[in-house]
Amino acid sequence: MNNKGQMIGRRLLQIAPVIVLATFVVFGLLQLVPGDIAVTLAGENATDARIVQIRQTYGLDQPFLVQYGHWLWNAAHLDLSRSYLSNEPVLDQILHRFPTTLLIVAVALLISLIIGVPLGIVAATRPGSRLDTVVTSFASLGVALPNFWLAMILVATFALTWNIFPATGAVAFGKDPAKALLHAALPAFALAAGGIAEVARQLRSALIEILSSQYVRTLHAKGLSPTAILWKHGLKNVSVTLLTVVGLLINRLLGATVVVEAVFAIPGMGSLIVHAAIHKDFPVVQGVVLAMVVVVICMNLLIDMLYAILDPRVGRT
Amino acid sequence: MRIPIGIDRRAFLALLAAGGAMSTEVRAAPRKGGILRVAAPTNPTTLDPATGSGGSDHVFLYTMFDTLVAFDYATLEPRPGLALSWSYADPLTLVLTLRPGVVFHDGTPCDAEAVKFNLDRNREDPRSNVKPDLATVTSVEVSGPLQVTMKLNQPDTALPLILSDRAGMMSSPTAVKALGKDHDRKPVGAGPWKLVSWEDNEKITVTRHEKYWDPERPYLDGIELTIIQEVNTGLRSVIAGQNDFVYFLSPQQKAVIDRAKNLISVAGPTLYCVQLYINFGRKPMDDVRVRQALNFAIDREEFNKATMAGLSEPATLSLPKSHWAYDPEMAKAYPYDPDKARKLLAEAGYPNGLDLNIAVYSDQRSLQRLEVVIEQLRKVGIRATSFAGTIPQQTNAFFVEKKGDVYLSAWTGRPDPSLTYQLMFGGGSFYNASRIEAVPEIGPALLETRRSEDLSSRKKAFAKLQKIVTENALVAPLVFQFEMDAHTQKVKGYQPNLLGKCKFEFVWLEA
Repeated sequence: MNNKGQMIGRRLLQIAPVIVLATFVVFGLLQLVPGDIAVTLAGENATDARIVQIRQTYGLDQPFLVQYGHWLWNAAHLDLSRSYLSNEPVLDQILHRFPTTLLIVAVALLISLIIGVPLGIVAATRPGSRLDTVVTSFASLGVALPNFWLAMILVATFALTWNIFPATGAVAFGKDPAKALLHAALPAFALAAGGIAEVARQLRSALIEILSSQYVRTLHAKGLSPTAILWKHGLKNVSVTLLTVVGLLINRLLGATVVVEAVFAIPGMGSLIVHAAIHKDFPVVQGVVLAMVVVVICMNLLIDMLYAILDPRVGRT
Repeated sequence: MRIPIGIDRRAFLALLAAGGAMSTEVRAAPRKGGILRVAAPTNPTTLDPATGSGGSDHVFLYTMFDTLVAFDYATLEPRPGLALSWSYADPLTLVLTLRPGVVFHDGTPCDAEAVKFNLDRNREDPRSNVKPDLATVTSVEVSGPLQVTMKLNQPDTALPLILSDRAGMMSSPTAVKALGKDHDRKPVGAGPWKLVSWEDNEKITVTRHEKYWDPERPYLDGIELTIIQEVNTGLRSVIAGQNDFVYFLSPQQKAVIDRAKNLISVAGPTLYCVQLYINFGRKPMDDVRVRQALNFAIDREEFNKATMAGLSEPATLSLPKSHWAYDPEMAKAYPYDPDKARKLLAEAGYPNGLDLNIAVYSDQRSLQRLEVVIEQLRKVGIRATSFAGTIPQQTNAFFVEKKGDVYLSAWTGRPDPSLTYQLMFGGGSFYNASRIEAVPEIGPALLETRRSEDLSSRKKAFAKLQKIVTENALVAPLVFQFEMDAHTQKVKGYQPNLLGKCKFEFVWLEA
């Protein structure tokens, strides 16, 4: 347990440098984006003096590193400052929008597992069969399909033609859970296509490897039924693989929401950062990046801890 | 002399009913109630008319703010608004008589004191973005409980229509004083609806102003404007039933609207003119023959077909056909004539053609327009190169840094046409890249348009001004963009207006 504690401690120590690195790189990239937020804020008929005044008000006339340092210092004191465009506290905006994105990611993950795991098992227990071929080819297709394309096809079919699901928008889960899930369904499905494929393929190959290993042959020899072998020994051993896939999947889903949120006009983190980046509203961009980095690091940490529980070897090294 | 007061609301509705668009349907009386759900493509810059800067904010502002002067939807002629009438006591004194019984959403009366407060704030507040609009006003005085007198430093008959824009939108003085900068996001006006909430980039909700001055209106209990940046997604939200109304669509989307069952498309001309700005202050565009050649080289019909799906109005003037100051004579000045263009270029000393550098926006539709322009210019021997960027970037590059000879951009229009000409061709004006007066006659002609308060004499002054601008080819207008909206069957009473910024004041919902 002591070793496990050290492992977790090491992970926690990595958080600060990762956050600094990520936000610094994003801040640097933002400098390369053409356009000037002071000109945007000043409006159509602005005088040069008004633009200079706005630059001074927001500290945009200061050197790159000073601006970044200022932001970092405030962020370290839990002050994410205010949006240049709306003047709203960035933290409020993030807290308001993150639940919407998280719901979609959670539903997408759930769909990936509910469909992907059985497919993977079925394919692995009958390798080479026609069913296996169907599953693996579907999996390849799922990975290859761009999710924004799939999203549009889903909208055209289920929202525009059949009117089963709404085509746009989101509802807060706390307000109306049923309606929230209805709104999240199509975007989550669009995101899950890749997830289903990933889970099924990884699970299949891991399971095939285990089921063809020598100790499983011994179990067969001992007279255990194939079902018992699969459920008791097979799945327990692939759980680590599955966990790895889930961890990677969450990170990927969080990133992919940017595109899917645009297709469905969902007011989530993706649309927040896109709008902010286009208009160079850098406190918002930095805030969103920070939030995403923290979530990804926490997820990785959680998964590492679960590894340690599922696989006794992890803590020992 | 008094400006003839326009028709009242009932007459106005009757006029709308007589118009072609609604003549075939059996007209029912407007029903009160219901929430209109609108897909809006932009988030407002602010909701304070004085401090905001976006041309697309008006759709939101109109729901919450009434203007001192209203305008005729079809021709943009001035109509009574919060001011029932106005008159020039002398050329330097404008007197407004206000509508009685108007109150702001917070109960503050909208009287002469409130109007003075607003006009002074618009003229003097450091954060005001409408100062240039009121540059000719030297003082505002309360001359009666419902009467305001404005003193001017030069004759300016453009003011009534200027007061139909941001500068004439009245905010509650109580709220502005109490909220300060926060009034940007919690505005209090005297319009038909009041703000409930503004979730940034997400949704703006307004609800009925119970003490609105017209007891019959508004018909709608409220409006929910959901911000969906992408117009294709916005249109899908209406087709799928999440919204009732979507605006600022592109002409290319007409086919999608027509394919969808139960959707009605609305189109109408606007002042929004896609055009080539010309820097006539230096070579080669300082030669009038080159500028005329440019105008003869453009096939506007073809441009309309290729870039606007044929759904716009080809433009040779800076005002569309239905505008009150439109002059049909000058509109014939530049038919498509490539031979004449080549001849003019040769006369100007470019028998082998010339090179032009065009500034352009970097979005897909602008680049598509650029391709058509470049190809048309190539046919008369003009070899065009281009450089692209965002709107603020290119505007700065062309008008401030003086990059490029020609700027493929647009003029969004102004309520009073004198501003349109002043801002584009006046000496020293921002939107005149050369900063000079191209010909000496232009200054006096500009002043002349603001001297008389009688629309028919103003029309003559504009005809003279348009003649100067057109003969000297100071700009190459291409097309007037049509406003394109779509709504469901249950939305009734919507009419587009020439300004191209939707107003929902007469809209109602079928049960």
